[in-house]
Amino acid sequence: MAIKIIKNGISDTIQDIGRYGYQHLGIQANGYLDYQSASLANTILGNPKQSPVFEIHFPASSFTFTKSYTICISGANFVPVLNEKSIALDTAIEVKENDSLQFLKPIEGRISYIAIQGKIKEEAWLNSHSFFAKRIQKDDQFEWEASPSMSKNMVQHHETSSSPMMNEIRSHVFSTTPLQFIPGPAWKDLTEASQKLFLSSEYHIGMQANRMGYPLKGALLQLSKPNQYLSAAVTRGTLQLLPNGELMVLMADHQTIGGYANLGQIILVDLPRLAQASNQTSIHFRETNIDTAHKLYQQIEKIFIHRS
Amino acid sequence: MKTNFENNNWELKILGDHALVFSLEEKMSEDIIENIIALKKSIEAFHFDFIKELIPSYHTLTLVYDIDVFYKNNIALKNNQSINEFGNTILNAFKSSTTNIETGNSTEKSTSIQAEKIIKIPVCYDECFGIDLENIVSKNKISIEEIIKIHSEATYLVYCLGFLPGFAYMGKVNTAIQIARHPSPRKEVMAGSIGIAGMQTGIYPMNSPGGWQIIGRTPLKIFDKAPAILGKLEAGNRIQFYPISFSEFEKLNEYK
Repeated sequence: MAIKIIKNGISDTIQDIGRYGYQHLGIQANGYLDYQSASLANTILGNPKQSPVFEIHFPASSFTFTKSYTICISGANFVPVLNEKSIALDTAIEVKENDSLQFLKPIEGRISYIAIQGKIKEEAWLNSHSFFAKRIQKDDQFEWEASPSMSKNMVQHHETSSSPMMNEIRSHVFSTTPLQFIPGPAWKDLTEASQKLFLSSEYHIGMQANRMGYPLKGALLQLSKPNQYLSAAVTRGTLQLLPNGELMVLMADHQTIGGYANLGQIILVDLPRLAQASNQTSIHFRETNIDTAHKLYQQIEKIFIHRS
Repeated sequence: MKTNFENNNWELKILGDHALVFSLEEKMSEDIIENIIALKKSIEAFHFDFIKELIPSYHTLTLVYDIDVFYKNNIALKNNQSINEFGNTILNAFKSSTTNIETGNSTEKSTSIQAEKIIKIPVCYDECFGIDLENIVSKNKISIEEIIKIHSEATYLVYCLGFLPGFAYMGKVNTAIQIARHPSPRKEVMAGSIGIAGMQTGIYPMNSPGGWQIIGRTPLKIFDKAPAILGKLEAGNRIQFYPISFSEFEKLNEYK
């Protein structure tokens, strides 16, 4: 085998774009928390942008390579070191047999991604390598097959040093402008005061944040009258109002349906920004509409278009 | 099939930037879930490649789409529709097809639920599995024999799946055996356990924490990871439980 986990982190997993087409059976989609950083790392290596990568939280796992690979680390900066020498983010890095990769300390962001050039040699389940709650453990081994066609797609070195692509993605993911959302079915059920409070308040991510959901700490909100909702499908980015007035944002491992008040959805392009925010980051919300959301989404997708 | 409400009761809303919701009146009703399933089938028949999910649940059908693929197809088809306009187009197509049925046109709603088979599920209501039967006996003043008779003589509709892969929410449970969830969930409910929560009944597809009142256990696997099997139940299925003895349970046990 070729990539070995020497020490396991707290909640590191393998993720790809996720599993779609099975939510009517109650099977969650899973997938990257921050699809933009993961796709950036894949694109730099010439991999399809939705390929499986290591999704790393801090304290992070440590890795040893038992053969040579080209890798790329994007997303959070946990100070990656290869054989104790620091390496750059958003850059294709050659690793050789017996090289070891560690992460020293969290400087910026919550989630780091390690993409490996080529194709993972592991069985997918229902077309995805994302598995619910299956963390990588010490002594786990993974193998990637090199693919010559992918290395041809690789972003060339002279391009990477000042590539507008990664600058754009990185500055977007780590920007702190308000998160844009589209009001949902229960938005109208909030009191007017609560609607205003939500739009003007500062929120922080709570300690219990995980891949299923991020709780938000801040102003408590109220419905104009108590209401029971029949459960309906929810999506990633759904803002749920819990009975105690607190907010919960559903993330990649969310259940397929939910019965709490559905106040709205954070738009897809802004979800990576919430995913990467620290517990200290001030979070504000701003209402937007579907046309703006679609334009922004397509702008980001254009950045990932393969050069060949 | 009977349609007890007007076509124009359908509502279409956007759910964020990558989903649409088609909804009817917000209540748990057989008519409503049957129409939700009929709409699901009519949309599936088009095989649109930008549709990632069609998720039915009680009074809603949620359509999850891929933004990029939607616009690429739109340009290819020279439609230039917004996703909302697209939603209205398929809803109108569905409405006119169902109107035809009501006016006696021979095109029947593709596969009406009534025409589908009832899925029979064996349950051992032995107290070693039905660990909350005594609760219902004391709270509802009813005997275990009556609980079993009432629970197994009704047929139930699956209104949605969720909570766990393969977990089906079914109803409606006869008021005589309705009981609220445990105030705090058990740490572990065994796979195959049959529970009641208010007017709903369900089967735990795998070992999991859970708050439903457990009345028995089925020896059948309700969910299997094998791609060819996956979930045995889908929204719109009609099911009926039938009582089996402990020794029959042992014979049929698929969890061994």
